[in-house]
Amino acid sequence: MKSRAVLFISLSLVFFLAWSSIGWSQAPREEAETTAQHLATLLNVGRLIVDRNQTLINDPRKGDKGFTPEVFEHEVVDEFIRQTNIDLRHLPSNLPSLAKELLPVLLQSSKEVVADAQFVINQRGIGYKNFIPATFGSQAARKFSNRSQVKIKQTTLNPRNLKNTPDAYEEHVLKRLATQPASDTSITEWIDNETTLRALTPIYYSHDCLACHGNPRGILDISGYPREGAQEGDLAGAISIQIPMKNR
Amino acid sequence: MSDRLLGIVPFLIALGFFLQGCGLVFDAVELVHPLVRDELSAICSRGQFRVGISVEPFRPFVFPAVFTDEGVRVTGLDVELIREVADALTTYCGGQKPIVPTLHLTRFRDLFIEMNEGHLDLFVSSIGGNVPGARPAGLWYSIPYFHNGGIGAMIQKPEVAERVRAQFQNQAGKFDTLAAIQAGLSGLTVAAQKGRTSHLYAEANLKNIRLLICDSLPAAVETKDPRIDVILSKHSILDYVTKHVWPDWHLLTRNDGTPLILTQEYFSIVTVEENRRLQWFLNNLLYRLEESGRLEHMRRRWLEEDYAPTRRAATEGLPFEISKVPEHYDQGQCRFATGR
Repeated sequence: MKSRAVLFISLSLVFFLAWSSIGWSQAPREEAETTAQHLATLLNVGRLIVDRNQTLINDPRKGDKGFTPEVFEHEVVDEFIRQTNIDLRHLPSNLPSLAKELLPVLLQSSKEVVADAQFVINQRGIGYKNFIPATFGSQAARKFSNRSQVKIKQTTLNPRNLKNTPDAYEEHVLKRLATQPASDTSITEWIDNETTLRALTPIYYSHDCLACHGNPRGILDISGYPREGAQEGDLAGAISIQIPMKNR
Repeated sequence: MSDRLLGIVPFLIALGFFLQGCGLVFDAVELVHPLVRDELSAICSRGQFRVGISVEPFRPFVFPAVFTDEGVRVTGLDVELIREVADALTTYCGGQKPIVPTLHLTRFRDLFIEMNEGHLDLFVSSIGGNVPGARPAGLWYSIPYFHNGGIGAMIQKPEVAERVRAQFQNQAGKFDTLAAIQAGLSGLTVAAQKGRTSHLYAEANLKNIRLLICDSLPAAVETKDPRIDVILSKHSILDYVTKHVWPDWHLLTRNDGTPLILTQEYFSIVTVEENRRLQWFLNNLLYRLEESGRLEHMRRRWLEEDYAPTRRAATEGLPFEISKVPEHYDQGQCRFATGR
């Protein structure tokens, strides 16, 4: 009886350890993938809010536009809830801890970009100020990446800003995305012996983007770059996220 | 009490002898290691120099600040010149670490105050160095970095141009620009930016106009009441803005279409009177840039080439101290000059 009890306890222990080790190895992967998805959504929401306020930002007749970091945050929070059902002000307990750690950092980085741009935004008498989704996104991604081991970058096959040039992996995925029908689904892969998560979330040209990126191809847009001749729905680029697991 | 005083007197005499000695020691130490460093050594040791730039845009010398992938940036001919000064200072300071320009975007009227209060090492803002009344006491102006400028005028109504051209025609080949301008603009509403050389020119030479003083060039363009007939400013700036920014406005030209310059003006870098070593450094640098053709290249690049300032801001613009700029830059307003 006693030996049967010892055997039972031993087997239970082995089973528990085996199960928990599977859990330990899989949970961080799922957590990282979910986090990457939420980070890409949040950066995209920030870009969307800048885009929605573009007419206000570029209004030369208005001085103080009232597009403060707080107003920006409020609009981002509302839109993020709409897209994900997640309230950034009260993060749900079932959210991965990595996402709980990083989403506030990205939100704060994004707010700081809007704060840095206040002088430019509030210039009266100046129309186009180049505070657009792309420049906002570049700065927010850079600020975030400087504060975290997770790297976010906007990238495209023909970048206007050479710092957004895709690396070999990004180039490969972007070429694949360019040939596929538009989809909101991210491409997610584990590389370097499963130690690094790479996630690319595609961005497609909307109608508003075409004023600078549409036709006639090659003619300079308002910021001085040649238009790409893009059509609505074409692949514009992607938000690329790298999450290393070995240091976590 | 008197005993105590008697005791203090020898002490004070002894102290006087010691203080004399202190002066000698102080001089000796200064000979070996100067305690008060000159302004160039101070810049080298700080690793940065503080440059004032007018927050009111003077395209193409200073464009309005824009947001880029790198953050907020300003660009223009004056900004490129600041980069040249920074490169030269880096070399002067030994080249071990780059000397970084810290840009302070300040209202034009405050540049002079900031400089006199020691908050700036120099300022570069298409400052006219040779127009009477343009040089406040205590400031020093470099040799020109832009010497083919002058004051010009822009108009909207063709009648204004016809009035001025009629005056030139009446002169029958005996050129007298001042007389033609005085008669041609008589009775008209003429705007100039407060404190700028065009303002000084108008105050001194155009007695029969209704002079409107504006806080900035955009403020003059935006003013609808009273209706402005003529805006005076630097010719090279008006040439740029009439082509690229305000196509409803036109440069006032001579009868044959050549530029009409009311008076010649050159632009200088400004620093304080006491900064003798910095002054020689700037003059020697500007002379070298002129003789090497670098300044001419810069002038052509900003005044003649077709380019997008936003793109140049992204690739070569300079950041500036956000905390130093007016909280909400407002181009301001215009009001009639008083006491004329």
